[in-house]
Amino acid sequence: MIEGKSIYLRYPDGTMALKDINIDIKAGEMVYITGVSGSGKTSLLKLLMGIEFPTSGLLKILGQTMEKEEASNIRRLRLKLGPVFQEFRLIKGRTAIENVMLGMRFLNLTPSEIKRASHDAMEKVGLEHKLLTPVENLSFGESQRVAIARAVARKPSLILADEPTGNLDVDNAVNILELLESFKDINTSVIITTHATHLIKNSNYDKLIHINNGNIYCESLGCSI
Amino acid sequence: MKSILFNIGYFIKEAKTLFKINLLSNVFTIFSTGLILFILSMVISGWWISNEVVRVIEKESEINIYYDEGIVKDDALKLAEEIKGHEGVLEARIVKKEEALKRMEEILGKEAQVLEFFEDNPFSGFIEAKIDLNTIDSVIEDVEEMYGITYIRDNREVLDRLYSISKILRILGVIVVVAVGITTLFIISHIIRLGIYNNREEIRTLRLLGAPEGFIATPFLLEGVLLTIGGGALAIILSNLTLEHLFTMMVGPLPFIPLPPVESLKTGLVIITTLLSIFLGIAGGIFGLVSSKVK
Repeated sequence: MIEGKSIYLRYPDGTMALKDINIDIKAGEMVYITGVSGSGKTSLLKLLMGIEFPTSGLLKILGQTMEKEEASNIRRLRLKLGPVFQEFRLIKGRTAIENVMLGMRFLNLTPSEIKRASHDAMEKVGLEHKLLTPVENLSFGESQRVAIARAVARKPSLILADEPTGNLDVDNAVNILELLESFKDINTSVIITTHATHLIKNSNYDKLIHINNGNIYCESLGCSI
Repeated sequence: MKSILFNIGYFIKEAKTLFKINLLSNVFTIFSTGLILFILSMVISGWWISNEVVRVIEKESEINIYYDEGIVKDDALKLAEEIKGHEGVLEARIVKKEEALKRMEEILGKEAQVLEFFEDNPFSGFIEAKIDLNTIDSVIEDVEEMYGITYIRDNREVLDRLYSISKILRILGVIVVVAVGITTLFIISHIIRLGIYNNREEIRTLRLLGAPEGFIATPFLLEGVLLTIGGGALAIILSNLTLEHLFTMMVGPLPFIPLPPVESLKTGLVIITTLLSIFLGIAGGIFGLVSSKVK
């Protein structure tokens, strides 16, 4: 599903964000990317979302090479992704259900399919009673759930969540992580970045990637949380 | 395509939301576009009316041939027959002085009472000849040579002046259409750019979710069309009221000007203004979208 070899990422200001990253994530895996702030985990996720492109090295997601020249193919690839952004990125002035539906409007689904899938997703995240609430009136936790509902309603092959617990208290954060983990299945991989390693001690993940200073410091069982 | 059809309701709703976000700017845009289109519709009306007048005058092209009042009735009839036989003359008949007076009374309407100041009928009899406009010069040249002819009155001078007015209005119309087009394009594209800037985060989010550019752009295009149609509607209302007023003012005192029917003029303006509004809205929207690339 995701294959990365010797990936380097240097930003235009010269900052080397990622160095010699090698990753291999298979379909249906639950993966955590951890590291302190500024370690490079968000940069790695930006590569996976197609927001940034490797300066060198090879990155393939669902068979698509991630290169700047492949912009139109990468747009199509994004239709198979379920991104959950750190700052939620919900569309203001619209209700919760409208935001969820918006993520599906260009997937060639009928209006009834969109409606059904978005209602199901809102139910899964436990917000079936907030369908018509404007997103401005939702709490942080609820906003994060709507963002997750928008991602999962699309039935993506890959859910990518960037610091989904960043603004939440411990209880809410654990709930959100458990919720995201629940969407992992045989066809859907879930990748979550977090700096709060204490929250995932009891998690049932398949892979743990710890990044330090742009390098993969340790992976899976080699990492001690 | 399927996605566009399924999302028509969403696009309209989004366009309305975009309109509401910049409500005051959009209302001002509608007013300024409306006034610009109103000026355009007035120029088009002027051109239309002058064209119609030229057309009617061309159709009714005739010359009035005055003859020596001393000649007898039979000679006048012969003269009319001779003129009728001339190439380019479609019809020739004698108009008696009584008929000439009656015609003037009809033209003057209520003002005809001025004719009562004359003790005798001030008009003379004449031969009225309808002619092919292309042969007017040769016909006049030949008729002038005929025995008993004293004076020929033709409408060439009037036609020439109307041609000039029509030509000026046509040129003015083209200039105004171009000026209005460019101005409207700038106004609409500026508003669209403003909308895109205000919604740049939403646009980025949609792109990250994989939305095609066409899907993102459609509400902005609709907003542009909504603005110009609003302006067009305002222009239509203003021009209809103005034309109604102008026609009422002109028909009474200037009854001899062959104005086109006001209803057909209004209908024509509605069609032209609406089509132009839609075109300018789409063009302005595309221009605004192309010139503001949100990265």
